[in-house]
Amino acid sequence: MITNYLKLAYKVLLRRKFFTFVNLFGTSVTLLVLVIASAMLDHTFSPMAPEVKLDRTLHVTYMAMRGEGNEWSGSPGYGFLDRYCRDIPHVERMSLYTGAHAAASFVGGEKVISQMRRTDAEYWTILDFAFVAGQPFGAPEVADGARVAVVTESTARRLFGDRTAIGQTFETQGQTFTVNGVVRDVPRVRDAAFADIWVPVTTLPTDLWKTSLMGDFNAMMLADSPRSFRAIRTEFAARLPHVQMTEPDRYKTMSGSPRTRLEDVAAEAVGTTEDMPRTGLFIGVLALLALLFMLLPAINLVNLNISRIFERVSEIGVRKAFGASTGDLVGQFIVENIVLALLGGAIGLVLSLWALQLINVSGVVPNADFHMNPRIFLYGLGLSVFFGVLSGAYPAWRMARLDPVEALRGGHR
Amino acid sequence: MNTMSQDHGTAVVDPPRQNGRAAIRLQGVEKIHRTDRIETVALNQVHLEVQDGEFLSVMGPSGSGKSTLLNVIGLLDRPTKGKVELGGQNVGSLSDRELAIKRNREIGFVFQTFHLIQDLNVVDNVEIPLLYRQLPAGKRRGMAQEALERVGLSARTSHFPSQLSGGQRQRVAIARAIVGRPDILLADEPTGNLDSQMGDEIIAILEDLNRSGTTVVMVTHDQRLASKTARIVRLFDGRQVE
Repeated sequence: MITNYLKLAYKVLLRRKFFTFVNLFGTSVTLLVLVIASAMLDHTFSPMAPEVKLDRTLHVTYMAMRGEGNEWSGSPGYGFLDRYCRDIPHVERMSLYTGAHAAASFVGGEKVISQMRRTDAEYWTILDFAFVAGQPFGAPEVADGARVAVVTESTARRLFGDRTAIGQTFETQGQTFTVNGVVRDVPRVRDAAFADIWVPVTTLPTDLWKTSLMGDFNAMMLADSPRSFRAIRTEFAARLPHVQMTEPDRYKTMSGSPRTRLEDVAAEAVGTTEDMPRTGLFIGVLALLALLFMLLPAINLVNLNISRIFERVSEIGVRKAFGASTGDLVGQFIVENIVLALLGGAIGLVLSLWALQLINVSGVVPNADFHMNPRIFLYGLGLSVFFGVLSGAYPAWRMARLDPVEALRGGHR
Repeated sequence: MNTMSQDHGTAVVDPPRQNGRAAIRLQGVEKIHRTDRIETVALNQVHLEVQDGEFLSVMGPSGSGKSTLLNVIGLLDRPTKGKVELGGQNVGSLSDRELAIKRNREIGFVFQTFHLIQDLNVVDNVEIPLLYRQLPAGKRRGMAQEALERVGLSARTSHFPSQLSGGQRQRVAIARAIVGRPDILLADEPTGNLDSQMGDEIIAILEDLNRSGTTVVMVTHDQRLASKTARIVRLFDGRQVE
């Protein structure tokens, strides 16, 4: 029986080409977008090199100082992070580093713009960069303010062409650095890791950064476990009232909290409430968008399937006349719809792999390395099959319950 | 052909034929179609007994209830009132599922408009009743081939309905109707869409099936074809007048 159903499903798909096209297009494009969106989310939020420990990392990227009529919010300063955030229980390691900023170099008279970040030595122990040559700078270099740098492969090519980068020097921001290590390019969305050039934090030209409460620094806190996040935040909050304000006449309090990457992105996307990111709202918006995105084509497919099945009322009449039960007919249409959904899924799979590859090589997202998340793809395919079954079962059930005489009157062959 | 009375409103009960067992028995059958505003009496107090192995024609003008009668006999439609027995079993209390099984095993249908499934080839169309008996594919295929041989279409098993003439399509429809070896064959205007030569061929096939023991009830407008059957029942406004 199932072979016959499959054969009929194949014939029906071939016969109603436009319907088949619309159906397959809807399913495959929905899956395609779902896969790309999930790949982007994965790329942003899941542990992935160099941020392989992202699931147990908290970041301090935003703090606010407030006084009467005064507010200063933004990245914290090294002084605050160094003096008040060290030795928090459950934090295994902490790194302090600046944001990545444009830094110009000149190669053969041509201006080369790179994104440069200044970091401590711990930075290289929390993040897992893929070194293709050399090594990171360590605590001694940072302590000495050594003019050494780690650069990405593409930066090394831009600065030095085909020459071996290790040991080469380049000048930027009025300082000359010697390349100490070369790493693979880092995706732009890896917020704490991304840069083209990394140099020791102690190469900053003045010492003002060492004491400032607000500034251009971030902290990465590697917790012993994600379960420790709450304790770390509690301890962090408990220390804030003890911060000695450097301008007490202007700023009285300091607020903020270590955040996960998701919370950081949520704060950027939908803002904060009392300095706390609206993560729930952010996830809700994403879920709603995903639901709407899946639901609209699903409703269309249900409608299409209903009209397609109603077109075949005469066939249903014939089958009933020759002994088909309601279950037989519902089964037949469900098989047809599952075939259609799986076919759409297969096309969606091919399209997704192709599109991800295209995005990776196109440079639309710098240094992107998008991968398909098989779990999300299977969820999407499962939903397509679910809607396929639903859209087949309901009209088939209605039609199968139709009086066979009425069904036979419904069309002529 | 048997002689029949022309007295209106009186059904003449022919003597039992063949083995004398009633394949079909209708007692006081009424069928009323109701919509929101209109009530139409399609069958009114029909009493009919068709003996096992009989070949019966049902005639009457359009709207006289011929097809409704066939649908009631074929368990496609339930009567509003009255009793229907097939092979001695009262079918009034059967569930939809039980009726489907009975249709599948005991009844074959031939429709005026063939009702073949365009997406399936000849042999797949013929196999349809066997699908619902859960028979293995090889057995189904063998029975379908045999049925097609009986109607002289064994050479066209992989053709699609659109590639066949009207007569050939009806022969496929007959093969589909007999593939499950039913006791009763119900044919609703089986020659209505065919020319007279093809119509005669179809009737010849039905006669052949009847000779091999199948009870055949055929609705027709064609007096010439009806006269080839053993008995004619005439309907007018849902009443059995002969």
